[in-house]
Amino acid sequence: MNKLYSNKWYIIIFLLPALILFCGVLIAPIGASGYFSFFDWNGFTEKTYIGLSNYKELFTSDSIGFMKALGNSLLLAVLTVFLQLPLALALALVLGKKIKGERAFLSVYFMPVLISTVVIGQLWLKIYNPDYGVLNVALRAVGLENLAHIWLGDKATALGAVFVPILWQYVGYHMLLLYAGVKSVPPELREAAMLDGATDGQVNRFIVLPYIKPIIKISVIFAVTGSLKSFDLIYVLTNGGPLHATEVPSTLMISMLFLRNRYGMGSTIAVLLIVLCFAFALLINFVFREED
Amino acid sequence: MRNSSKTKEVLIYIGLIIWMIVNLFPVYWMFTFSLKSNPEIFGENVIGLPKEWLWSNYSTALHTGNMGLYFMNSAIVAISTILITLIVALMATFALTRLIWKKRKTLNKFFMLGLTIPIHASIVPVYVTLSKLNMLNTYWALIIPYSAFSLAMAILVCTGFMNEIPRELDESACIDGCGVFGIFFRIIVPLMKPAVATVGIYTFLQCWNELMFANVFISKNAYRTLPVGVQALSGQYTTEWGPIGAALVLATFPTLFVYIFLSKKIQESFIAGAIKG
Amino acid sequence: MKKILALILCLCMVPFMAACGGGGDQGSSDGDQVTLKLWCIATESDANRPAYLQAIEDYEAANPGVKIEMEAFENESYKTKIKAAMTGGSSDDLPDIFFTWGGAFLGDFVDAGKVVCLDDVYANNYTEEQIPSVMLNNSSYDGKHYGVPTTFNIVAMYANMDLLAQAGWDKVPETYEELIKCCDDLVAAGIIPFGCAGSETWCVTEYLEPIILKSIGYEDLNKIFAGEATWNDPDIAKSVDTMQEMIDKGYFDPSGVALTNDEVKANFLAGKTAFYQNGSWNTGEVAGADFKSAVAMFPVINADRSTANCAIGGPSDHLAVCSESANADLAAEVAVALGKEICHYNYLNAVGLPAWTPDYDTSSLTPLMVDIGNIVNQCEGMVLFGDTAMSADPANIYLDYVAKVYGKEIDGQGFIDGLTKDLQ
Repeated sequence: MNKLYSNKWYIIIFLLPALILFCGVLIAPIGASGYFSFFDWNGFTEKTYIGLSNYKELFTSDSIGFMKALGNSLLLAVLTVFLQLPLALALALVLGKKIKGERAFLSVYFMPVLISTVVIGQLWLKIYNPDYGVLNVALRAVGLENLAHIWLGDKATALGAVFVPILWQYVGYHMLLLYAGVKSVPPELREAAMLDGATDGQVNRFIVLPYIKPIIKISVIFAVTGSLKSFDLIYVLTNGGPLHATEVPSTLMISMLFLRNRYGMGSTIAVLLIVLCFAFALLINFVFREED
Repeated sequence: MRNSSKTKEVLIYIGLIIWMIVNLFPVYWMFTFSLKSNPEIFGENVIGLPKEWLWSNYSTALHTGNMGLYFMNSAIVAISTILITLIVALMATFALTRLIWKKRKTLNKFFMLGLTIPIHASIVPVYVTLSKLNMLNTYWALIIPYSAFSLAMAILVCTGFMNEIPRELDESACIDGCGVFGIFFRIIVPLMKPAVATVGIYTFLQCWNELMFANVFISKNAYRTLPVGVQALSGQYTTEWGPIGAALVLATFPTLFVYIFLSKKIQESFIAGAIKG
Repeated sequence: MKKILALILCLCMVPFMAACGGGGDQGSSDGDQVTLKLWCIATESDANRPAYLQAIEDYEAANPGVKIEMEAFENESYKTKIKAAMTGGSSDDLPDIFFTWGGAFLGDFVDAGKVVCLDDVYANNYTEEQIPSVMLNNSSYDGKHYGVPTTFNIVAMYANMDLLAQAGWDKVPETYEELIKCCDDLVAAGIIPFGCAGSETWCVTEYLEPIILKSIGYEDLNKIFAGEATWNDPDIAKSVDTMQEMIDKGYFDPSGVALTNDEVKANFLAGKTAFYQNGSWNTGEVAGADFKSAVAMFPVINADRSTANCAIGGPSDHLAVCSESANADLAAEVAVALGKEICHYNYLNAVGLPAWTPDYDTSSLTPLMVDIGNIVNQCEGMVLFGDTAMSADPANIYLDYVAKVYGKEIDGQGFIDGLTKDLQ
């Protein structure tokens, strides 16, 4: 069989569709983006080679505000890791303990993941509406008028208001991943610890968490790269406004490409996004490996 | 001791129920305002059930908003993407886990790069290529990129499942005179059924929501998908919330309906992906 | 194995290489029936839609050999779409005739050689009397005409006279001092004077540009928009401060910063704000509101530099013909004929002033439109909307600064300093 399985032609035939799809749609375009990033190009006239000028301008220009956009998405990454994931983990630990109504809770918590992001965006747009949105109406109803806000229009609150639905939607996603891990802990381990007199907290701390570390790692990678790529909800809710307060690299890229006709600069942002996603994936891998 | 664990349990339940309300309330509110008139939404009756059930909002969303068509389009794109992703990923996984050659570990890592690449980063080159091939405004303009971007996750999941199929099965099939294709189609593929569900769910989640490509690659109404359709409709009815609510409900409830009946299966498949991956 | 991988990679690149040569030319003419594709932004909710449909119906009835297939897109996504289609550039995905804004928006396409010159059509079929050459200025480049104006609009200040009456005013304020007094009276009476949509920055320019215009005059503002003079002008700084003062004094609805233009307009039409300053294409809708309405211009602020007789506006909406159309000559004729008729129906529907001289009965016009017509007739000078006059990149930098003014991030000095630095 080894001989049969070593036949070069079979290897090629089985790999070819995946390679064509993967290289044609992912790898080659990334190469092309890298190439465009060295040009000043408005999309239809001739390109002019300008070397690294786009990169230089991106990092130094105040009017583009790339550093701020990057800061926003890093802040989102921090919030997902330190707010969303702990919440998801807590839910997973509680639900993983054979609690009454486990299924019902699990099903409801996972539900937002299945709703289209645009729908969630439109829905929250209505929730935040300054005049008729349910949030301000509720605040006024309980006498907290001075807390009522123009949530998405005020620079001070817009970023927070945009992050809430993003964090909310994917708690269920991570919860289910981690729940899977918690459930896969062999019951003997748990029982042995309990016999030794360990409390629930200690079981979680010393048995469950180390056991599900690989899944936590996957969750962290998805959460961080997901934050760096976040686009849909922000596009629907504010499109980067007010005054770029909620700008992230991908909204900036789209406005460079299609509003300002700067295809070279848009491609530069695309390249940096990819580099960042890889860098963080490697970094997270490294952090988790060191402790092993 | 007993008392404190009792209060602890109560507290946990309170927490769980609050979080449940946080998840259910937006959906409930969406459903109620989809059936209300503006005056009701804007003050008379913000969170209650509609006093007068305005089904006309739904006929507006269906007729003017074309939600039915968009739903079909999204379904066609999602199903085709899932099929293509599955076939391509199964073949690639077979080569990566069963067939014997030197660089297969490296190539596997290469595919895993796809997990972190943001789909938006390739928009300009992909657009230019699709346009030169006269493929804009077709289902393929979405199916091909979506399949490519779902591939990494699919291979990751399939690898986990395929490694669990004992190699002795291949051996005995080989002895019985099966070729490589025979082994793949008769032995491996039938045993990969659980992976089909898992890959299907992950791929569905990815392409059902996608907005940016769908917005730029499709200009013909006839091929628009749900996210773009919802976005367009809400641009048209910024001041009338009822029809927007109806469109949001139409875009959401069919999926939720399926989910309610299959939630256990869906969750199990999703979980399987997490563990196998 | 490595070699094989390299080969596969090369294969994958083929579509990209091949792409550079290709480009199909399937004309859409079959038999004697020619179908022309028209892209525009006249969606169901757009006030221009009836004019488009009527003009197309008329044209098809008079020319049975031509069929016009209209596709309408939402305004913001259309900007993306048309640019992306022009970039991609295969004829199958491009329309024959397309809607475009004049000025730099169309200019970018003209520079790239994507637009058909319409000089012959104008010279052969139309007279200066029908289409005054000043109306073609915003779509002319190097003396050649590339666009067909479908309407002509200025920024107008609509007033709800019922609300003004509640504050003790029975006429629209005519001088700047009167306007301020009127706003103070309105605020005292618990009425919000203005509504302005902060989530669409062009709506903010509809307020800021007239204020600047009435402070420095049309000649100087035109020079600045054209890049012939810098923004470094103390009177511009002062106008920005003026607008921010108005915001501070509560003249603007604070909810406005997060709303869209449709929502702000709906607030005005529902009687929530006393004034609404926006393009004259809103005239029909305002006339249809159930309160007594009036129209005026923003008053002169600095009489040393500006007169009352100038306005922000001009012909900005156009049709143009794509040079890759398989039937470019026919499309050029159709575009001009269609543009003229769209202009005709737009005027009668009170969604725009006539760029083409009316050769039809106008007695059915709403009085509000007639008032705007009179204002325009007295105008000595016009300044095209800033974001249309400038090309995409500077226009968006400019809009950024305007948004900062409305968000009170910068004051007048910051505005002129920033624009002088960033828009050289």
